[in-house]
Amino acid sequence: MTQVAENTENPLLEGLRRRRTPEPCALTIFGASGDLTQRKLFPALYALALRRLLPERFAILGVARSEMSTEDFRASMEQAVKEHGRDEFRQDVWDSLAEATRYVSTDFADDQGENTVIACLNELDERFGTAGNRVYYLAVPPAAIQTIVTELGERRSAQGWTRLIVEKPFGHDLESAKQLNACVLEQFEESEIFRIDHYLGKETVQNMLVLRFANGIFEPIWNRQFVDHVQITVAESLGIEGRASFYERAGAIRDIVQNHMLQLLCITAMEPPIDFTAESVRNEKVKVLKALHTPGPKHIVRGQYGPGYIEGEEVPGYREEEGVSSESTTETFVAAKLYVDNWRWADTPFYIRTGKRLPRRETTIAIQFKRAPHPPFELDSADALRPNVLNVHIQPDEGVSLGIGAKVPGQGMTIRTVNMDFLYGGAFRTGLPEAYERLILDCMLGDPTLFTRADEVEEQWSLVDAMVAPWNRDRPGFPNYAAGTWGPPASDELVHRDGRSWRRH
Amino acid sequence: MSELSSIREIERALTTLRHESDAPDGGPSQRTSSMTHIAWVPARWVEAATGALVGLAERHPSRSILLFPEPDDDRDVLEADVDLRCYVHRGEHREVCSEVIEIHLCGSRSSSPASVVEPLLLTDLPVFLRWRGPVGRTEGQRELIGVVDRLIVDSSEWPDLEDEYGYVAGLFDEVAVSDIAWARTLPWREALAALWPNVQDVSALRVAGPEADGTLLARWLSTRLRRDVSLTLEPAGEIELVEADGAPVAPTRRDNESASDLLSEQLDLFGRDRVYEAAVRSLATASV
Repeated sequence: MTQVAENTENPLLEGLRRRRTPEPCALTIFGASGDLTQRKLFPALYALALRRLLPERFAILGVARSEMSTEDFRASMEQAVKEHGRDEFRQDVWDSLAEATRYVSTDFADDQGENTVIACLNELDERFGTAGNRVYYLAVPPAAIQTIVTELGERRSAQGWTRLIVEKPFGHDLESAKQLNACVLEQFEESEIFRIDHYLGKETVQNMLVLRFANGIFEPIWNRQFVDHVQITVAESLGIEGRASFYERAGAIRDIVQNHMLQLLCITAMEPPIDFTAESVRNEKVKVLKALHTPGPKHIVRGQYGPGYIEGEEVPGYREEEGVSSESTTETFVAAKLYVDNWRWADTPFYIRTGKRLPRRETTIAIQFKRAPHPPFELDSADALRPNVLNVHIQPDEGVSLGIGAKVPGQGMTIRTVNMDFLYGGAFRTGLPEAYERLILDCMLGDPTLFTRADEVEEQWSLVDAMVAPWNRDRPGFPNYAAGTWGPPASDELVHRDGRSWRRH
Repeated sequence: MSELSSIREIERALTTLRHESDAPDGGPSQRTSSMTHIAWVPARWVEAATGALVGLAERHPSRSILLFPEPDDDRDVLEADVDLRCYVHRGEHREVCSEVIEIHLCGSRSSSPASVVEPLLLTDLPVFLRWRGPVGRTEGQRELIGVVDRLIVDSSEWPDLEDEYGYVAGLFDEVAVSDIAWARTLPWREALAALWPNVQDVSALRVAGPEADGTLLARWLSTRLRRDVSLTLEPAGEIELVEADGAPVAPTRRDNESASDLLSEQLDLFGRDRVYEAAVRSLATASV
């Protein structure tokens, strides 16, 4: 008997839980000798292989300039999986993945290099039956993307499908993003382009959609009538970790705000999509981006860290980091007050802040509800009663907590705020998949729901361009916060002016 | 562990254990509430049941209630122990705790287990009952089945398959049923489904494996294809071979899943499995 493709009339399929297994394909990673491939991509591929989520007919081609044999590349990736994988290492699983892995050392900027890649992919099609289906993962610097995309477009496989994953940053401003979109769309259809923002692959980010749209109790109060304000924090305790050349050009606003932070804001503020298809979800996110009011200079705070202490250890200031100019004006901290100008959110501030060398690593969306209108308790007892806050913890401690007022046991009527915690790993003790596992699999399955669409990325840049425009006209007094603190004083003033304060951590 | 003889004492002991488990820094351990898992464990299944529980609690933090019926005991008493099993959540300082309640139902106290269990169920959460051995048929045992959302059996534990399948088929309209023997056939069902349409005229299945697993596989094929499929069975501890009309079938995966794994998978299921029910009903009909 021969194996045949799935048939919709097949009565034997009824009741079988359909696993999401993609069609045969070859995955090509451009920039395969880089950090991302080692720390994220191969560990993700290994995790998918371990769970049998990769296609049965599958191959990987690593492409980079570094001189290396396939054997060396496999050995290097094996080590990476052992170091960075979330699962126990199983030699049999790795061996089957390694057997389907090849490496080509080439400069992708020239014709010869691209021809070499295509020839190798054709061989893999023959050897592994990948049927001309191609996923190209561009883990390369932005400057290299246009050349590769053009060369790949001109060498499209005559059979099978082609999909392109493009890593962030997608451009460095609106103009460059538009140029990049035009270049990519000249060679590929929008449905073939997967602009990755790994935050969308995080379980807890997706859980935000479930929290909002699968629970009847939240949506009726998810609006300006009941929500006082929203705080979104993406805090990192790390510095720039040797990425000075990238970070000096990007800064916090391009590194975090333009992509991760705006994605978090969008899923918090978006209207319920009519279904969970890629177009419906992305349409709603784009509507939020279009409704974002450009904040004026008084509503944006930028900062740069000076020397300070992290976990008791003295760390240098940003300007003392290797590769950073001693007069750098690159921001390592941004806080802003944004408004979503629509019926649901009018006049409800969304405070966002992100920074490096903050006291702890934390990504949280906090929905602070309005106070009870008239607590019938004596004043002193109600003082301790803070407004209800729904905290969605993206990382670490993934989960959701709701702050509520509770009576302190005893004779009096003392009230204290306590947290009801839903710890993600407490209820579902299977390990949370890494974002890249989900996203690579989704791309192989052709599902772009968790990827950024062309108009979405342009809207993001449009806002960021407007936010940074005034920065070109003045010279900030950097550094203005010490490493290990929650940013410059102006960040606190931003919310204090409104009679509010940042969440305590 | 502490010996207790009433529901009130059990509840008090659980509260005390929870307080004792609080972290030294004052932060409470987290108690999760995702389900109540009950196991009905006659004497001969005690070792297997406690073995399956190891590893299960960590994957499915829940309140587990192990019922040990001892109707021949001269005393009419409950003897219970409670335990809190806490697991450090990966990389974090907080622990997540599951509760395990072991209750020996001595003498006449074994005749109405539902009345013992109901006060201990976690409110508004699903209740799963793993029934070891043949499913009970007394009025009291039927009452216990009546308070749960899902009954989990392993038909390979049954001495008389035809009779037991017939009885369980009669429960389908009362409670959703999972059969671990059925779960074990999944890789083979997937493999046969992947051979469509070349399997649509299959008339003979040869299985080397447990009788229950082979029987369910043949009945499934027969009911799905709406044609007679004969079964040739060679007894074995697990399914080792399946041939459809003489052609070998390769399962989609060959990992040996532990008892904990198989039970754990059933705890993720909700609702009725109509395909399983059809296969079992056809067995029941055939045996009439």
